[in-house]
Amino acid sequence: MDSKIKNLNEKLQQAYLGGGQVRIDKQHQKKKLTARERVMYFLDDHSFEEIGALVTHRTKDFGMENQKFYGDGVVTGYGTVDGRLVYIFAQDFTVFGGSLSETHAEKICKIMDLAVKVGAPLVGLNDSGGARIQEGVRSLGGYADIFYRNVQASGVIPQISAIMGPCAGGAVYSPAMTDFTIMVEDTSYMFVTGPNVVKTVTNEEVSSEELGGASTHSTKSGVAHKTSPNDVECLEDVKSLLSYLPQNNTKAPDLLPYELGDEIRDSLSSIVPDNANKPYDMHKVIKGIIDEDSFYEIHKDHAENIIVGFARLGGRSIGIIANQPMFLAGVLDVNSSKKAARFVRFCDCFNIPLLVLEDVPGFLPGTDQEWNGIIVHGAKLLYAFSEATVPRVTVITRKAYGGAYDVMNSKHIGSDMNFAWPSAEIAVMGAKGAAEIIFKKEINSAEDKDAKWKEKEAEYAELFANPYSAAERGFIDEVILPKNTRRKLIKAFSMLEDKEVDRPKRKHGNIPL
Amino acid sequence: MSQSFKVNVNKSFDFDISETDSSQLNSIKTSDNEYHVLHENSSYKAEMTLSNFNKKLFQVKVNNNTYNVNIYNELDILIKEMGFEIGSAKIVNDVKAPMPGLILEINVKVGQDVKENDTLLILEAMKMENVLTSPRAGVIKSISVEKGDAVDKNQLLIEFH
Amino acid sequence: MKKILVANRGEIAIRVMRTAKKMGIKTVAVYSTIDRHSPHVKYADEAVLIGEAPSSLSYLLGEKIIEVAKSLNVDGIHPGYGFLSENADFAELCEANNIAFIGPKSHAIRIMGSKLAAKEAVKAYDIPMVPGTDEAITDIPEAKKIAETIGFPILIKASAGGGGKGMRIVEKVSEFESQMNRAISEAVNAFGDGSVFIEKYVTSPRHIEIQVMADTHGNIIHLFERECSIQRRHQKVVEEAPSTVLTPELRAQMGEAAVRVAKACDYVGAGTVEFLLDDAHNFFFLEMNTRLQVEHPVSEIITNTDLVELQIRVARGEVLPYTQDDIKIHGHALELRVYAEDPLNDFLPSVGTLETYKLPEGKGIRVDNGFEEGMEIPIYYDPMISKLITYGNTRDEAISLMLKAIDNYHIEGIQTTLPFGTYVCEHDAFRSGNFDTHFVKRYYAPENLIDQQKTEAKIAALIAVQCYLEEQKLLRLPN
Repeated sequence: MDSKIKNLNEKLQQAYLGGGQVRIDKQHQKKKLTARERVMYFLDDHSFEEIGALVTHRTKDFGMENQKFYGDGVVTGYGTVDGRLVYIFAQDFTVFGGSLSETHAEKICKIMDLAVKVGAPLVGLNDSGGARIQEGVRSLGGYADIFYRNVQASGVIPQISAIMGPCAGGAVYSPAMTDFTIMVEDTSYMFVTGPNVVKTVTNEEVSSEELGGASTHSTKSGVAHKTSPNDVECLEDVKSLLSYLPQNNTKAPDLLPYELGDEIRDSLSSIVPDNANKPYDMHKVIKGIIDEDSFYEIHKDHAENIIVGFARLGGRSIGIIANQPMFLAGVLDVNSSKKAARFVRFCDCFNIPLLVLEDVPGFLPGTDQEWNGIIVHGAKLLYAFSEATVPRVTVITRKAYGGAYDVMNSKHIGSDMNFAWPSAEIAVMGAKGAAEIIFKKEINSAEDKDAKWKEKEAEYAELFANPYSAAERGFIDEVILPKNTRRKLIKAFSMLEDKEVDRPKRKHGNIPL
Repeated sequence: MSQSFKVNVNKSFDFDISETDSSQLNSIKTSDNEYHVLHENSSYKAEMTLSNFNKKLFQVKVNNNTYNVNIYNELDILIKEMGFEIGSAKIVNDVKAPMPGLILEINVKVGQDVKENDTLLILEAMKMENVLTSPRAGVIKSISVEKGDAVDKNQLLIEFH
Repeated sequence: MKKILVANRGEIAIRVMRTAKKMGIKTVAVYSTIDRHSPHVKYADEAVLIGEAPSSLSYLLGEKIIEVAKSLNVDGIHPGYGFLSENADFAELCEANNIAFIGPKSHAIRIMGSKLAAKEAVKAYDIPMVPGTDEAITDIPEAKKIAETIGFPILIKASAGGGGKGMRIVEKVSEFESQMNRAISEAVNAFGDGSVFIEKYVTSPRHIEIQVMADTHGNIIHLFERECSIQRRHQKVVEEAPSTVLTPELRAQMGEAAVRVAKACDYVGAGTVEFLLDDAHNFFFLEMNTRLQVEHPVSEIITNTDLVELQIRVARGEVLPYTQDDIKIHGHALELRVYAEDPLNDFLPSVGTLETYKLPEGKGIRVDNGFEEGMEIPIYYDPMISKLITYGNTRDEAISLMLKAIDNYHIEGIQTTLPFGTYVCEHDAFRSGNFDTHFVKRYYAPENLIDQQKTEAKIAALIAVQCYLEEQKLLRLPN
């Protein structure tokens, strides 16, 4: 028996070394941890249970039968994060560059199936050169097996992808179908076709970093939801993201113990400037409302005219969607509509209540927007809010103009509680423009046109540049003092906790994609 | 396989401790979290007052003195060597008050070039004047306090460009 | 006297009120905005807010305090130590408002507040002074002559001096001229004035002070000495009574000298006469402190007296209840000042919140304390948290008790001088009684404390690793 135990230990030692010490050192030189180190760091100490450590590939072509490594380029298993069950796979770049083989894919699929059956989050740490070319179509089949499972798991368990090295070609579509993608700066990139192919096809000269690095995807494309300066911070970011999410779609996120006590926040009273044309930072409003240091922003550098992210409010996990007057006056455009719509749908999937902070002057005009389909993209946000059944609360801090008022979680599309600050202006458009249209004749026939315009502008403002005509109709449930916002919201979400909505039976809705 | 650790106590002492070292300590449990230790024939009373397994963070009282113990395993050490400590990559862009106090003197102006260790301001706490020096070379972007202000711990004092 | 206002805060305010309560006298506290939670405010029968946190806007506002006293029909004000305690104008203000100032008369405060006036006043009373020139001198041959009469080593110091500039210690006559030249040139460069004083340099000096008590009927007694040589930054940390070096004769001599100093300024109430004692047991008058001292408890304990009670009685015009012969030494008392300071970091203030704060208790232990658990140490005042006093029949007993009391004094959240107290009490020089004001300079370095801690730290580390390895074996299931 002793020799058999020794034999097992030797095999496991070999598995733990992946592609060998030389390649491990190389990985470290590239400022990357190895797959196993990442898993150990990510999970609670001594909680990792590996599944399939002794798997090897089955290829016999190109001399591959002589090159076998236990694990076959991916470390898979389960463990806990803050005591919560999590399934994890981590691609091992030290084994065949982390390339995906049939068996590699099988290992991933195995834990994906478990994750869905059990109902626990799935975390993928991607670091792979792509398909294992020696395996041909078997490798491609492996990808598709994973894609298919990503979709089946979507909306059932949270799926988070960390890109911690290369992720190219077909491989990108698995992260793309998970809920969140976090990229490590400088060491990771994602693209469908790499710089070489780009050069041959379009003659463009572009570096990997520029084409698909973390900064590209977090600003221009929005493919990455977040970036992290290094491996360790990336893993920490995944952990904190998980803390806002439930285990699966039948559960609610953990309510953190929170000591209430600072519910009146005077700082909120002085954020909105008197001059309606002056911008202010909506982050200050968010900070003034939520639990201290609890904001986890998604897509921080992409479509900055809308802010989305998770926060805690009296210990409760909520999703926040807020117009940002600091950028483009907080208008809705193609990118911000898409960004917010996807976030709203994620929260709705996983029972995370929604808070909307509204200061929106309308949709961004122009050919660029119209030709790029602002109609269909704006509709996504309208659709997402309208179909969401989680508790929904809106606070209008200032402008709520035109169609954007309807879109931003208005009472009419099913919001549960709508508050307004005294500074709110709920109208079809700004007073100046409105006066010009309504009083066109009077203004044109007046002797002093400008004076008349101003007079009529004031008249309209008097009537609509406030929250009261909306409040009179019940479109606003309550006009509240800014300093009481936190208090009101904690109560509202608590009141809405057991909200239930029945929808008519259907296969699925047809969101305007 | 024997594990070995780097252990830091109270941010001032570092020890290399292996599994064998720890098993050789002559200690007995006297209650759930109390120990009696014989070390070089001297008798010590120890009490585990806080233990966080996941963070590998322990607080042990020895003869009524409190010691905060951080245990680092090989992975933690590797991470440190690779320079991955959380927040380590960021450059210091501001100076915050290290303790509550009164601003006695401000020695720089907005826009001024400063070198590392130049005196920025003087903070008086308990009648002691603490000179706050520049953490790096740079240009002063803003000064958020005035002479005579009372500041809280961690309050922003000066920002760099 | 029916109601006393204590124009102070912290432990001393409580100390004074305790005696007042014992005597059936009502107490009034004053406080600054930051001190609303302080125990002295809760301990007093009445308490009045007098201003903002900085002492110049509160505890130093004499007129405001008098106003409060008048409105509450206070008939006596106890100033404690620090703040207004040695402010002659405030003493006069009290008198002018018909409120008894529990302390000496203003002229005594004035005289002793000025080094020159004090020297002048005690001249006729045969008080030993550090030998030296009365006037500044620039003439080198003349200076040399004086130096030889005083005897080496001598100290040359610039009359305009400060900060150690223009100060020279001269060990022997052959070095005198060159050292004097350098002192003068340094003084000229630093202050533009080359005149210097010459005085005897007291090697290994001990700081010994005599507690005196005088009534308004001409009776003055002394309550023996306090040894205060353990100092850091020229401030006392550990004090004791009696001193290990005084013989009964020397004690009597110093006591009598102190009484004469008190006489020299028509002293009334509790006061302290400070002396330097050299290695040959010659003593020299330094100055007189015209207030109740921080370290007064050690004298109270060995003489079985209550100095605050005596102060109040004297202020009421009573005759001292004791004559000199009634006062005897009983046992030995030791005091450690517990400061919010880091002994590992040059005794710099350690600001923070008292997360844990538990006082030692037991026979032979007295804590004069001004703080509670959860309180923050305010940055505006002296960083002393409390005084830990232990006493026994012998010095050894008091020291052992002190070590035990320090062990049972639990403070977390800030660094304090407690570990330094342990270091002193365990040090051979202190235990043998053979030490002077250079104790800290000569024997103490943070490394000493660190070395002591290192063994304990290692044990803590080993225990933690043991515990960690044990916990690895625990089966943890996902929530």
